[in-house]
Order: sequence, then C-alpha cells, then structure tokens
Amino acid sequence: MAKDIKDLGWNELIPGAALFSFTEPVEDVAEVPMDERPYAPTNSHEYSVGDWRVEKPVFNRDYCIDCQFCWVFCPDMSILSRDKKMIGVIYDHCKGCGICVEVCPTNPKSLLMFPEHMDNDEALSKWPSKEEKKK
Amino acid sequence: MTKKIKNLKEFSLSNDRYEGANLMCPGCSHNIIVREVLNATNDPVIVATATGCLEVCTAVYPKTSWDVSWIHIGFENAAVAIATAQAAYEVLKRKGRLPEATKKMIEEGREPKFVAFAGDGGTYDIGFQSLSGAFERGHNFMYVCLDNEVYANTGGQRSSSTPIGASTTTSPAGTVSYGEKMMKKSMVEIMSDHGAPYVAQVSPSKWKDLVKKVQKGFEVNGPVYINAQSACTTEWKHAPEDTIEVSDLGVESCVWPLYEIINERDEHGIIYNTKLNITYRPKNKIPVEEYLAAQPRFKHLFKPENRHIIELWQKAVDAKWEHLQRREEAGV
Amino acid sequence: MAKKYELNEVEVWDGNMAAAQALRQAQVDVVAAYPITPSTPIVQNYSQFLADGYVDGDFIMVESEHSAMSGCVAASAAGARAATATSSQGFALMVEVLYQASGMRLPIVLTVVNRALAAPLNVNGDHSDMYLGRDAGWINLCSYNPQEAYDLTLMAFKIGEDLDVRLPVMVHQDGFLCSHTAQNVRPLQDEVATEFVGEYKPVNSMLDVSNPVTHGVQTEEDWHFEHKARQHNDLMNSKKVIKRVFEEFKDLTGREYDFVYKYKMDDADIAIFALGTTVESAQVAADKMREEGIKAGVVSLRVLRPFPFEEVQDAFSNIKAVAVMDRSAPGGTFGALFNEISAAMLAAGKSPIILNYIYGLGGRDTTIEHLVDIYRQLDECAKAGERKYPLQQFIGLRGPKLSFY
Repeated sequence: MAKDIKDLGWNELIPGAALFSFTEPVEDVAEVPMDERPYAPTNSHEYSVGDWRVEKPVFNRDYCIDCQFCWVFCPDMSILSRDKKMIGVIYDHCKGCGICVEVCPTNPKSLLMFPEHMDNDEALSKWPSKEEKKK
Repeated sequence: MTKKIKNLKEFSLSNDRYEGANLMCPGCSHNIIVREVLNATNDPVIVATATGCLEVCTAVYPKTSWDVSWIHIGFENAAVAIATAQAAYEVLKRKGRLPEATKKMIEEGREPKFVAFAGDGGTYDIGFQSLSGAFERGHNFMYVCLDNEVYANTGGQRSSSTPIGASTTTSPAGTVSYGEKMMKKSMVEIMSDHGAPYVAQVSPSKWKDLVKKVQKGFEVNGPVYINAQSACTTEWKHAPEDTIEVSDLGVESCVWPLYEIINERDEHGIIYNTKLNITYRPKNKIPVEEYLAAQPRFKHLFKPENRHIIELWQKAVDAKWEHLQRREEAGV
Repeated sequence: MAKKYELNEVEVWDGNMAAAQALRQAQVDVVAAYPITPSTPIVQNYSQFLADGYVDGDFIMVESEHSAMSGCVAASAAGARAATATSSQGFALMVEVLYQASGMRLPIVLTVVNRALAAPLNVNGDHSDMYLGRDAGWINLCSYNPQEAYDLTLMAFKIGEDLDVRLPVMVHQDGFLCSHTAQNVRPLQDEVATEFVGEYKPVNSMLDVSNPVTHGVQTEEDWHFEHKARQHNDLMNSKKVIKRVFEEFKDLTGREYDFVYKYKMDDADIAIFALGTTVESAQVAADKMREEGIKAGVVSLRVLRPFPFEEVQDAFSNIKAVAVMDRSAPGGTFGALFNEISAAMLAAGKSPIILNYIYGLGGRDTTIEHLVDIYRQLDECAKAGERKYPLQQFIGLRGPKLSFY
C-alpha cells in the first residue's frame, strides 16, 4: 500500500473492514519464521508496544541453558528463539510483564528486569552472581 | 497431521501465527493459551473469536494480530461461527471450490483446523446456547474457553464461572458480603454430557499437557471442548509476572484439576464408552488457601468473619477431586 | 451434484414454496435456519429438496435465528453462498447479526415472510419485522405474490453478490396472504435459473490459507464513520446493479420489475401507496373508482432500500392526494413510509395532500371497501384542494375512531 492507511478516505477502504495479514500469499505460514514473512502494514507485528514498559527484561547469555521456559510462557511472542536457542528479547513487542524472569530456572537468572532507561550493557555489568532471594 | 513435539526445545521451533504488539494486558494468560493452542499444529488454522478481551485487543482497525484467518461476529456466537465456517469448508471441498493453496494443503494431508476462542462470559453465559447447539449437531471443530472467571473486558463483572468468594464489580465484597455467592458451573462435564468425543481442562502453565490435549482434540472427529484456566492479572489482581505461578497454584491445589473426558462415539453421537483421565496428579496437594492468598480478589476471605468461605472452598475442591478420582477408577 | 428438479411451465406454488425453489435453484452452499411461522415451510421445503438429492449444499438446522444469521455470516466469510428465511420474532432475534452481515459486506440472502411483532403475540402478517430491519444496511426487495417472491429471490443473489455491491439482500413477502396462498407461478428451468444467478464469487475468503484475512474487526471513532460511509455509499449506488439485473431478468423472462411499481398512474389524480399484498387489492379498488370516473392509481416499492427517492418523486409528481399506508405500529410518530414519501415530495417542491393510514396490523384483513373508503377521502381532499381528514388514521379498527393531527 503506497499511501499510509491513516490517510485513506472512506472511498479507499476495503469494504467490510477486512484486514490482511500479509502483502502477498504465504503458502505455508507455520513454516515461515516471523522475521521472513511479508507482513502487511496492517499487521500488529509492524507496531511497537515497547513504551508500555517501565522495566525491561535483559537477557544474559552467559547463564542461559536454553530451556525455553521464557519462550513458551511469554504472552507476547517477544522471546526470539531460533534452532532451540534463546537469542534475545524483541523489545518492540515486550510489554515488560516479567513472566520470563519469573520462570527462568538458572542460578543466577539469565533474564532480569532493569529500569527501562538503563543501557543493556550497564544492566549486564550489574548482574548478580547468585540467585536473588525470591520475593 | 500431528506435529511432533517431544519436549520444550522442539516446541520452541514453532513459528507463531499470533502476533506481538496486540493490546492484551502485560502478563495475560489468554495470549499464552492462544500461542500454545496454535503452535500445537503446523496445519492451517481458521479461528473464530467471541467478543471479549482477545477480540478487542487483537483486531482493532487498522491492525490485526492474526496470521491465520480469523472472524469475530458477536459475543454469543463464536461456536456457530466456527462450526458453520467448517461446514462451508466441507461443502466447498466437495464442490472443488476451495482456493488452490488450501487444496494443496489438503493433498499434503494437512487439513485446516477450525478453532473458536471465547472467554467464560461468551461460553458459560451468553454464548452457551450457540455452543450447546453446535456441540449437539456434531460439527468438527475445537472450542477453547479462555476461563478467567470474570467479564474482564467490560471491567470485571461476575459471570457464571466466577467462583464463590471472588470480589467482582457486580459481586463486590463489602461490609456485609463476602463477594460471589455461588460456585462456578461445571462446564467440562456439561460439554462432555453433550456427547462430545473429547473434552479437557488445561492450564497454560502445564504447556505439555495442554499441547497434548489440543493435539488429541485435533485428531478426533467432532466437537472438542477445552476449558483453559486463564489467570487474569487485571481482575484476579495478581502481579503480571506471577501469572504462571498463580496458574500453578491452581493446578497444585486441585482448584483447577487437569483431566480429560473421552466419549468413544460414532458419527451419530452414539456413545459406546466414556472414560475420564486425570492427566496431572500433584505430588503434594497444597491447601486451597495458598491459591486464594495469591489473588487479591479473595483477600477479604482472610478476614475472620469470612474464613468459613475458605473452608467451604477446601471442601468443594476436595469433593470434586475425590469425584474425579472415583470416575477415573471406575472408568466412566 | 444436485439432481435436476422437473418443473412444469406453470406450477401452483404458495410464496413459501416459490422462495424455497428459488433458494434451491441458486444452489446455495450453506443454509443455516430456524423455523418460525409463517416462513417455516421455506426451510421445510428446502430440507425435503436436500433429502431428495436436489440440493448440493449443507442445510444446518441451528438452535436459534441468532445462530441462523451468524451461521450465514461465517459461511459467507468462508467463501460460500449462504441464505436463510425467517419472520417476526425470529427476525427480531437476528437483528444484531443483520448489522454484522451488512457491515462485513457479505451478500447473504434472507427471505422474510412478514409477520407482526409481539406483544401481544401474533403469527399473522404485517410489516413490523420489515420496518425493524430497514436501517440494517441491507438491500430490501418487496414482493406481492408468489411469482414475485420467486423472481426477486433469484435476482437477490445476483444483485447482492455483484462485486460493486457486496451487500446482503432481503426479499419480503406477506405472511399467509402470500406465503400460504397457492397461485400460478412460472418458474425457470433449473439450468436457466442457475445460469442466471451465476457462480458464487468469493471475496476475501477465510478459507484461503495462504492469504489470512481478519473479518469482524473493531473500529472506533477514528475509523467507524468511514466504514459506515462506504457501506452507505455502496448501498445507495447499488441501484445501478439492481436496474441492470431487473433488465437482464426481463430479457430472460419477459417479466418486468422497476424500483417503483405503478398502476394506472399516468393520468391519476389520487393514489394509494402500499406494500405487499395490499398492492393487488388496491388495484381492484382503483378500478372500481375509475368506473365512477375517479382517476385513481396505485404506487408501491419494489426496492425499499436503497429507497428510490427520485422514482417516488416522479411517481407522485402530478398527484393531488396520496394515501401512504403503513402496516406497522408507528410507535409514537407517523408511519415510516409516510415520513419518507413526505420528505421526497417536499424536496421535489411538490405538495400533494399526503395522508397516513395505519392498517392491517397482526393480519387484520384490509378489504376492497376499506381501500375504496380511502380513495373517497382522497378524492374529497383532491376536489376541495385541501386536507379534509386527520393526517394519521387507523383503519379497520373496532372502537372509536383513532386518528391524530
């Protein structure tokens, strides 16, 4: 779509307010990783809810055992996992709920919440060396 | 075609067909359940959703969070919507009028799955007639109730799924009230008694149990009902990060027992055998009190004048758990 | 593949059978329906066609009219041709979903056998249900007899499914007086009817797994208005397609339809405007008046929505007095058609005397004598050049005369 949808007049809309997920057919959606799909500008994938957060999860590769608990329990498809490996957090889609941190089983945890404004490198430098006391 | 999911690492190879930047609350169980259901198969999925949190947060124009075809009509008709879409599919398949991409999938043995998602309001209450009708007629679809025991989307009113003692905006706890007066409906048994070939209760915290049951449901022919515990950070008032923990407390206390009921039946709905399986047995059944204590919707129950409701709760949970075990043992 | 149904050149069908036969010939993919008097025989007949192999589609007997229309919506969104039938309370229960069908731009066909709305409960004909749905964004076609119910039902599919229209269509017929009155009907042979209706062209089908589509979105204040405007625009402009389909049908059958139906209006001084079976009675009354030298005519609508504003203005352009008959309890104002026709004439700068008659509620018989009386009132007004009667009168009612203004 050349024009931003927000600029469309009533006469330019798809009758019935149907929305398409992709800009072109995807033969087998389940086989195509998210970052390789031809998302339509009307797909929420293209948007960010990152500004909902006050705290963000930071991932520390050093302690991760790739158990995938964070992946399976993330409500927002925000744990990037490829080939059974945890890669990181998709900050555009993460709402900062903190479930990934809660379910992380390593000691110390491989995911911890830090203030949104803190730089990730700084967060990593402050990583505790042993498990925090459970609240 | 059943997807092979041996363990969580294998499950993590799934490519989600449900998208981020939807508008569901942080820590919402609905999203976790939807992910686990959709990722239980790689076959195409067609989804209907009743009005409710999931619907208003995933299809707000001009954005959709669905990478599968999806329809919302109203609050009370998700079951008939998905059942009739499936009926249309059968007719168009027979008449050779399905789109080419869909025909190709069928040739590969990957028939589309038809799934409805609805909250407990859309299931236990306003959608019950449509649900009952669609189950009686025997359509081939799966209905997943995202059961957060409250009308969360409209601001936390009681539904017939709200359990005793819960404070909601229309059954508030007050100086002379301990909140909701009735224990919730037994939807799993009600749907099983429709003669459905497969019904199950699941929790998103027990992902493997959930996925296995969804896969079983996809394999049977006929209507399948899945009652999914959906801890609601907004209305159960627990912290968003505690969603999985609260869910687990429900399962470990047997407030939310995980089980399935299988009706062996033919295409006419004649049932030859019924069996109930408890699919998760807590090693140490924890007191219900621990589950209630984790949720501020029940906090008034811990006042001296309301403690008897906690005792009632424990009795109700014990009785249900006993009943389930006896049914399982008896093979009925 | 459905079997061919052997049809005579002339069949004796009631309106329900006529509508059911049209649904059968349209080869509807999914009919989701629920029985209600007086439209029940439509779905019964259709079930029998299915049981005898004359239908290659699915008939789903759902548990309510709400589910019937919901089922049609979902089937239509899935890319199937969908239709159903209803009346009265069933129609009322469908109303929520009627708006969803039109808002989602799904060309469902609904055959409505018009009946009163409770309370008090009543199974007989009036136009309360038609009026209840008139703002629902559907195309509304009106028939007066079984032949027309058949013809318009066939045309409904072709109109609604046109890619420039893509709107649901209702075809109305009067409960009992049309639905249960057997008359001669000249049907098309199956292959001719099916070819006329044409193959269903799915739009944005949910069943194309390579192109996922989201149907039934939420639009708030930043989008809802644009979508409703688009819907209204396309409904207003559907007149072009309706006209074309009427012409094609005339070429095929010789039977002529227009937005406005006129009887002896060329030289008429006074006219009755009505819908449904009353149109035929009014013609008899008009002829009686003409025997007395009073130039009486009859006007009706074939298309209630989109409202044929200009055609109505034309129809009454040289008329001195008009009786607009509304067969629905007006609920605190004038009958809806009185208001619409009055507005059309005001905008045309014409001011015939327009009187509103409320009649036939709950199946109350409207006789030729009633209609003759109305003509006499109109004639008196026309001759005097001024209104001699109240603006709104109830006719055929026991008790003291009920009138307003």
